[in-house]
Amino acid sequence: MSKKNWASHRQAKDEKMQRVAPLLEGKFAKTSDVVKILERLLNSGDKVVLEGDNQKQASFLSKALASVDPEKVHDLHMIMSSISRPEHLDIFEDGIASKMDFSFAGPQSTRVSQMIADGSLKIGDIHTYLELYARLFIDLIPNVVLVAADKADKDGNLYTGYNTEETPVIVESAAFKDGIVIVQTNEVVDKLPRVDIPGDWVDVVIPADEPYQLEPLFTRDPQHITETQILMGMLAIRGIYEKHKVQSVNHGVGYNTAAIELLLPTYGEQLGLKGKIVPNWEINPTPTLIPAIESGWVQSVHSFGGEVGMEKYIAARPDVFFVGKDGTMRSNRAFGQMAGQYALDMFVGSTLQIDKYGNSSTVTEGRLSGFGGAPNMGSNPTGRRHSTPAWQSLKPDDNPLGKGQKLVVQMVETYGANKRPVFVDKLDAVEVRKEAKLANVPIMIYSEDTTHIVTEEGIAYLYKTSSMAERQAAIAAIAGVTPLGMTSDTATLNDLRNRGIVALPEDLGVRRTDAKRSLLAAQNMSDLIEWSKGLYNPPAKFRSWS
Amino acid sequence: MIERRNMMESLWIFPGQGGQHEGMLNRIDSDLKNHVEELLNLKLKDSAQAYQDSVQLQVGIALLQVDQVRKLAKYNLKPNLVAGHSLGVFAAAYAAGVIKLDDLFRLVKYRATLMQNSYPHGYGMGVIVGLERKYIESLVAKVSSTDMPVYVSNQNATLQTAISGNLSAIREVLSLAKNKGASKAIILKVPVPSHSPLMKNVSQKLQEMLETIELNRPQRVIYLANTTGKPLRQIIRIKQDLSDNVSNPVYFDTMMSVATNYQPQVILNFSPGKPFKKVIGEKFDQISQIYLDQMSIEDAAYLLGKWERKSN
Repeated sequence: MSKKNWASHRQAKDEKMQRVAPLLEGKFAKTSDVVKILERLLNSGDKVVLEGDNQKQASFLSKALASVDPEKVHDLHMIMSSISRPEHLDIFEDGIASKMDFSFAGPQSTRVSQMIADGSLKIGDIHTYLELYARLFIDLIPNVVLVAADKADKDGNLYTGYNTEETPVIVESAAFKDGIVIVQTNEVVDKLPRVDIPGDWVDVVIPADEPYQLEPLFTRDPQHITETQILMGMLAIRGIYEKHKVQSVNHGVGYNTAAIELLLPTYGEQLGLKGKIVPNWEINPTPTLIPAIESGWVQSVHSFGGEVGMEKYIAARPDVFFVGKDGTMRSNRAFGQMAGQYALDMFVGSTLQIDKYGNSSTVTEGRLSGFGGAPNMGSNPTGRRHSTPAWQSLKPDDNPLGKGQKLVVQMVETYGANKRPVFVDKLDAVEVRKEAKLANVPIMIYSEDTTHIVTEEGIAYLYKTSSMAERQAAIAAIAGVTPLGMTSDTATLNDLRNRGIVALPEDLGVRRTDAKRSLLAAQNMSDLIEWSKGLYNPPAKFRSWS
Repeated sequence: MIERRNMMESLWIFPGQGGQHEGMLNRIDSDLKNHVEELLNLKLKDSAQAYQDSVQLQVGIALLQVDQVRKLAKYNLKPNLVAGHSLGVFAAAYAAGVIKLDDLFRLVKYRATLMQNSYPHGYGMGVIVGLERKYIESLVAKVSSTDMPVYVSNQNATLQTAISGNLSAIREVLSLAKNKGASKAIILKVPVPSHSPLMKNVSQKLQEMLETIELNRPQRVIYLANTTGKPLRQIIRIKQDLSDNVSNPVYFDTMMSVATNYQPQVILNFSPGKPFKKVIGEKFDQISQIYLDQMSIEDAAYLLGKWERKSN
């Protein structure tokens, strides 16, 4: 009986590394050899993680991957948290890759939808971030990972700086399971500011011809915040933040939540809430949080990624942000998502559609966008056992073994920007599931996890409803003049108000006429710069005044 | 540290018929105009009267757009994405380096002649604003018959849909649409049922002509297809779009959704007119735009250069 080889993966890796040995000096390859390196290190059918994060893109490596010869490398199984760049899909048109597991595809959602329909893209699963990262260690263990660093030293140690994001979790999944770690770096230096990834985990480093792509995705210009959004922000602060004494929170990206951030130092102050609500945040360093930080509302901020222009401000506020000894921020999306799902009192986000049952989705007809952080942060991990006031405040009175719940809040205007109703009878996602032959309907946040919905009409406290019929009535009551809202009547509304299931602005002591733009702590980008004492440096496209 | 370098990705949009006006060829390079007139044995009159004629109109618009492409090329300006609407596909294909100048004009003249001869009267197009396409399909299904056919055609924006076919049937659909809450339902000044199966013969003949023409694969530029909205790089599919768009709906709405996936930073709108303001506003958040109908090529080149410097 022949002896079993228990190290076949290690041998396979060694054989691949032999193929590129002539092109390497230590761990370093020449910029111009990148396509050759990929052609020699990728076997057809390999599982490959290409670092496409929410913000940082390994764009030099993704362009190179799109240039390999499909005769030599084909049918790769790609694993990407974010499908962001055109070439992430071009590789499927050219046959270089054939299958994709992913989480978010917002920037490429129309093409993803088309390519699934015409068969050029096969989907494994659309994962929540944490499911995707977790499966890198279980049944999606990669053969090769392609990641991006700011700087590398001669030994291949890496500095990933503000936008560390997914790099650690991706590298770890390959480095200890005989996968190959290929890194593009913006520059090579003698001494790194700090080591984010040890060189011992890295196989090949290639200096990029230009820095990795980085987008300021979390910058919202206060100029575009409307008075309706301010009204909704006031409702949320009174009817949710104050009512439940919320201590820790994540805000989705949008003008609704930006309005809340800018109302804390003004409206929140007037209500005497400073020091009583939201000292702890899991959020990207969004510039609209600057006034709240500067006025002493915020004790800590941990982040999934960085934000372009916020570097100096963050470095100058190490008491608030997670910062290395070198003074630059360290982010980590895997830990951020873990915190979002398990540590926070509350998630507040927005969506494109909510059905009559309270399920919500940003997947609409012709756009298979997948989801960012919302499904993890907007779900209620049932095993949690928090003692915070917010968690406890959702505990049922009548059950001695009853548990609390994470607050999951959806803030939507009843009609979306496209003039279509947000409240719908049936989510588009139901049809999209059929067309794309998905195992699950792509729902972003399930009804059972949604505790509150805020519209310009008022707040529905869904966690207080005791049946699906009552839940539907509460949603209809705040759905305005959408077809769903028209099914509600005054008698039902008043009954729901009396029982505290629905609150209108007057029930919360909020005057609609007070919802003015002058209530925002910053009304435009220059106000934000001023609040930051000149430390915030917005990207050119947000400098409309210059 | 390497400097961040963002090349401005540009989307070039070429409209079809609709925005033409007398004198629009005034600033055309005269050598080019003479060349085309000689090639096609056609005198371009550039008058309101002449633009009643399909051949004058289609060749005129194509010439105007090709002239703009050639002038931009002198400033080394090239597109990353091209989107033509209907007739606009030909100048789009030219800008993408797919089709040669003489072939383009022969093809456009042939297309216009075929279209003109296929439905001398009683047919045309309408447009409905404010209703969903699926709902309009149900209205059209109620009205359309073998004798008086009508089809749902172009999707220009989310709630802006064209219908094509027999004029009586179109009027009937428009009046139903108004009753059902359409904010606008009117007849368009197009004398043929474009972008419907009624133009299958024209597509067939164009296909035959295209078989005799040599096309080149676009280099580093994406061609957005009228008939599917999809991004194309393969010649065979672009060829099909050039011949078949006249007998299929133009999904301009989808084309612009796909364009957003390529994240262009600037849009160049070619002449004539500016028919796509609504859909561009829907799809693109505060993008820099140039309308060549309103400024000279020199000014456009200056502005592009300025934006490019600012984005660095």
